[in-house]
Parts: sequence; structure tokens; C-alpha cells
Amino acid sequence: MSFFANNQIDMSTLPKVQDLELTAISSKYIYILFFNTLTAFGVLCLAMVLVNVFAEDRGFNDVFWYVFGILIVLFFITLIFNYLGFKKRKYAMREHDITFSKGYLVNTTLTLPYNRIQHIEITRTFLARKLGLSTLKIYTAGESGDDMTVRGLPKAIAQKQYDFLTKVINERV
Amino acid sequence: MSAYNFQQPSRQSAKVILVIFGVSIYKVVKASFIIIVAFLFKLFKSDKPINMSHPMVWLSLSAIPLVFIVIAVLRYLNFKFYVEEHHFFLQKGILNKEELSVSKDKIQNVYIKQNLLQQLINVVSLSIETAGDDKTEIEIVALAKPKAEALKSLLLSGAKTKVETTKTDEQQIEHTLYFKASAKRLFLEGLSENHLKSFILIFGFIVGVYNDAKEFVGELNVSSTITSWFNLDNESLMALLLFNISIVIVLLVFSIVLSMIRLFVQNFQLTVMRNNEGLEISKGLLNKISLSLKASRIQNTTVSTNRIKRVLGLYKLAFTQAMANKRQQLKFNIVALSKTQLNDLVLQFYPGVFKNLIKHKPHQYFYKRLIATHFIILLVFNACFWYLSGLAFLLNIPLLLYLVFNIVYAYKKAYYHIDDNYIVVGSGMLIETHTSFLEVKKVQAVRLEQTIFQKNNNVATLDISSASRPLKIKHIPLNRALDIKNYLLYKVEYENKNWM
Repeated sequence: MSFFANNQIDMSTLPKVQDLELTAISSKYIYILFFNTLTAFGVLCLAMVLVNVFAEDRGFNDVFWYVFGILIVLFFITLIFNYLGFKKRKYAMREHDITFSKGYLVNTTLTLPYNRIQHIEITRTFLARKLGLSTLKIYTAGESGDDMTVRGLPKAIAQKQYDFLTKVINERV
Repeated sequence: MSAYNFQQPSRQSAKVILVIFGVSIYKVVKASFIIIVAFLFKLFKSDKPINMSHPMVWLSLSAIPLVFIVIAVLRYLNFKFYVEEHHFFLQKGILNKEELSVSKDKIQNVYIKQNLLQQLINVVSLSIETAGDDKTEIEIVALAKPKAEALKSLLLSGAKTKVETTKTDEQQIEHTLYFKASAKRLFLEGLSENHLKSFILIFGFIVGVYNDAKEFVGELNVSSTITSWFNLDNESLMALLLFNISIVIVLLVFSIVLSMIRLFVQNFQLTVMRNNEGLEISKGLLNKISLSLKASRIQNTTVSTNRIKRVLGLYKLAFTQAMANKRQQLKFNIVALSKTQLNDLVLQFYPGVFKNLIKHKPHQYFYKRLIATHFIILLVFNACFWYLSGLAFLLNIPLLLYLVFNIVYAYKKAYYHIDDNYIVVGSGMLIETHTSFLEVKKVQAVRLEQTIFQKNNNVATLDISSASRPLKIKHIPLNRALDIKNYLLYKVEYENKNWM
């Protein structure tokens, strides 16, 4: 292909990221997403109700139900986007790199070659422990812009990947 | 180098007590400034003034510096460093002892800095930057300058194997002065900065307080003075117009002078030394800094200029390195370079990059995107105009012209190029032009980004990460983006070159 100047590699023979078969993360992760949204909106609603009860100013009471209604609508819209975004959370591992794709409105597909990994980490929040899920974090050097965080992996799979990546890093020298 | 023995644990210069003391007093005053002012204010307002000659007042006031002096002395006594084989060791801490070591080849950079206080007592500070997180940053606050320089070259020579040590000694000698920015060039550089940005910021602020300002100035009778100067009748429209114009001019002058002073202070006596491994930059008036730039440590490089600067032949070169400290990043730049010097330096780090440069254009979708974002800017400004009322709507004419040209030139200046060794991305708007360079072997990860709008148009944005800021190729056809991603991954994974 003539696009790459001074290039002798036949582009059609290169491994293609677009042909990757991506694996979805655990379906239980949607509960965590919903729970997080629920807590965020719950706290907001609670604060509003408290203000409404204790406020001296009548002005707030007049608009209270409108604002509350908008908040409820926003809550359901967020849930829908949670679900749509959840469907896009997928990962794949190849011989030399790992790929993670996410996002509905802005879909990003990050591919990280193993030979650029600095260190890896598994974290488990309380809720994730209850659901048997793990978060796999893969760090690169320098600014944290391209670190990869794969949330909602089944515990066993995360551990397997962690062991595999540790082995790859240690063998790299 | 042999004049100093770094094998033995040594302390800093005893002057460090002064530096630590000064810095901590400065910090305390800065942090408690409002409290002190409030306290003094209350003191003056109260009926019974405190008797300043009372011993309790003096005792309590002198206790604070005394505590700081004791802390400074203890810190000095408990701070030791030494170099052994390939590691730098540091012991510090009064109560919580801390001992850390850094392998020489993990050191990204070593700077020598000098703030105002350090300049007065003739010591320098030496900081060691590693590629890790903020916590591992190491600073030795006070060293005699020759000792600091010796330590610096010792630390930076570490990345090599023993066989090459004689070679590095040769390279040390080959320091040649490459570039020294004259005061005139710095002055021009400051004058030709893009003041529009800071001006718009101040303008936005003024719109917010416009009516208050008008009242305030009205009280000062400025407009009547001006009208009497120009011998004008008491036409209110004219007075208003004059008032507005004078505000704009004052702001313009203010922002220009401010950014000129800032640029001059930061880049005072900017000097670039060249050697086989890279560059040695030193600059600064209040905070003197000298840093060395190794070719192997550079992540990406950006060349910037604007329309006025290009006419004057002024170019800026900014480097980024792998490190967490963002504040330091800003200092890795060289301003006021001429075109030939600039090309020279770029070619030093990216040999042959201009030879096969093919400028590929982004997809037409880029236009759509630009029009959408500029339309929002137009709306925001019109909201301001609506608030101002009167003839403010006439400002739409220059604004529209500016926005249209901005869109045209943003597309015109956008391009990307990829070959075996380099990625080059051009960008810019009506006024500014930027060109970024990145070596393919320094790529760390590739991210493909697609908004739902981009998806409908079958375009994508490619985010190419190195150990520093990522390089973005915006709005290119999806197939092309995937080809580039596959190609870069192939290069990184199979060639497996050393990248840091």
C-alpha cells in the first residue's frame, strides 16, 4: 500500500484489530453500574427533599416538583446509557497485546502492547467482591492517559490474566 | 569529576538551613496571609491597641521562627546522599527516617535550579526526575554549583555500560554553544504572542462586571474628561463609544505587557548548548534553571509559531519527557529560534524527517465538526452581546469573519504523516500553527475513538500515546485509522525497540 511512505510491509498481511473477537465482561457488572447511578441520584434526591422540608424560603417549594421530575427523567436516561455503554464493554487478548473497548456515545478501543506494560494490579470493591468480580488495571509509563482499567471481570478470569501478564512481563527482561 | 567524592555519604551545603528556613517562612506567610491581614485589620480597628513592648508579645512572635530554624537544622543534619556503583542513595527525615535509592538508568533527567534566595546565597538545587510517579521525585536543595554539576554529569553518565565510559568523557568536552536568545528577540517574542486568548478571557470577565465598571468610571468623571479633551459635545453615544474603546485599549495594553514580562522573566538569558547526546538548556531570571535533554528521553516534540512570529522569524520548540510532574513539562521549551536553527534542532532528534514528508488530509467531516463548535462559540458571544445591548451586535461582523477564517485555516493546517520511523501531525487555527513529531518506536498504546456522529460518517480519531502527552490524528476515515493502528502495533510489537 502506497500510503505509508518508504514502507515494505504488505498491509494486508498484518494482524488486524478489526478482526478481533471481543469478549464481553461479566453480565453482573450491570448491577454495579446501576447501583452507582442509584446512589448518585439517591443522594441528590435526598438532599433536595431535606432542603424542601427545612427551607424557609417558599420559592424553592414552588419549583421543587419540577426539579424533582427532571431529576427522575435524568435518572432513567442515565440508566439507559449505563445499559448501552455496558453492552460496549469488551476486551480481547492476542499474542502481543490486549484490547479493551468501551463507551456508547464516545466509543474508544485501546490496544496496549505487552512490551509497554509497566505493572499490573487487581482491585476489588465491596460490591464487586459480593458479585465475584474483579478490576484489572494495567499501567504504562509516564502520564496515566493510556492506562487500561478493565472493570467487571469474573474473578477467576481476572486472576488468570493477571498471572499471564505477570509471566509475560517477567520473561521480557 | 574527581574533585568530589560522591561515594561517601555527604550533606548539603550548610547554607541549606537558610534555604529551608526561607522557604518554610514563605510558605507559612503565603498560607496564612488572609489570617494575618484579618488579624492586623482587627488590631487597628480595636480601641485598645496591644502593647507591642510587652514581653509576651515578643516571645510568642519570636517563637515561630525559632521553631523553623530548629527544624531546618535538624533537616540539614539528617539529609545525606551518596552514589554507589549504579545507584543514587538518599537518607532523610527527622522522626520518620526515609531511605531511597534510584538506579542510574531509571533517571530521566537532572535539573539544576536556582530561585531568588538561592541566587543570593550562591547555591543551587538539584532535582532528579524519574519516569515513575510524583512521589519518587528527589530534590537536593542546596549545593555549591560546581559540586552540583559534577553530581549531575555523574548521574547522567550512568545509563551507559562501563565500556563506554571513556567515550562519555569525550562527549562532555564537546559542549558547543548553539543558541543564545538576545533581549531583542525575547522582546519580539513576547510582543507577538497570541494575545487574543488572554484578551477574550479578560473581555468575558469585563462583560460580567460591565455595568458596575461603568458606574465606577462614571463617578471618576473619566468620560467627561475624555470628551473635554477631544472637545466633543455631550453626546452620550459618543461618550459611551469612547468609554468602550478606551476599556478595550487599556485591556489590550495590559495583557500584552503582562505576557511580555512573564515571557521575559521565564526565558531571561536563554542559552542552548549542543552535544552529541542532546541539548543543555538554561534560562530564567528569578528562577534560574538548567536542564539537559537527551535524545533517547524525548517523547514528543512540538514546533509552534503564529502569523506574526513567522514574519519575524520566531519559532518555539517544546519537548515532552516521560514524567508525572506536569509543572516541569512547561519548561522544556526553547523560544525565539530562527527557522534554520529550528530545522537544525528538529533534524538532530528526528534525522531525515522532512525528506519524505507526505501531508495527508483529514476527512471532510472535520469541517462539519468545526462548524458545529464555532457555531456554539457564536451563540455564547451573542448571549453576551444581548446582555450588553446597544450597538454590541455590530461586533458580530468581525467575530463572524474571524470564525469563518478560523474554520478554513483549521482544516487547511491539519495534516498527518506516518512513515517507518516518524509520526508527524500538523494542526492550527487562523493565527497559530503547530507541528508535532513522535518516533514510532516510542508509541506505548493506540486508542481508536469514535463518537456516534463520527460513526455515522465512518470516521474516527486516533490517539497515539507515548510516555508523555498523546498525539491525536483527528477525523480520518475509519479504514485508514485501522490501517495505521495495525501498522503501529506491528512496529511496536515486532521490532521491540528500546523506547525509554
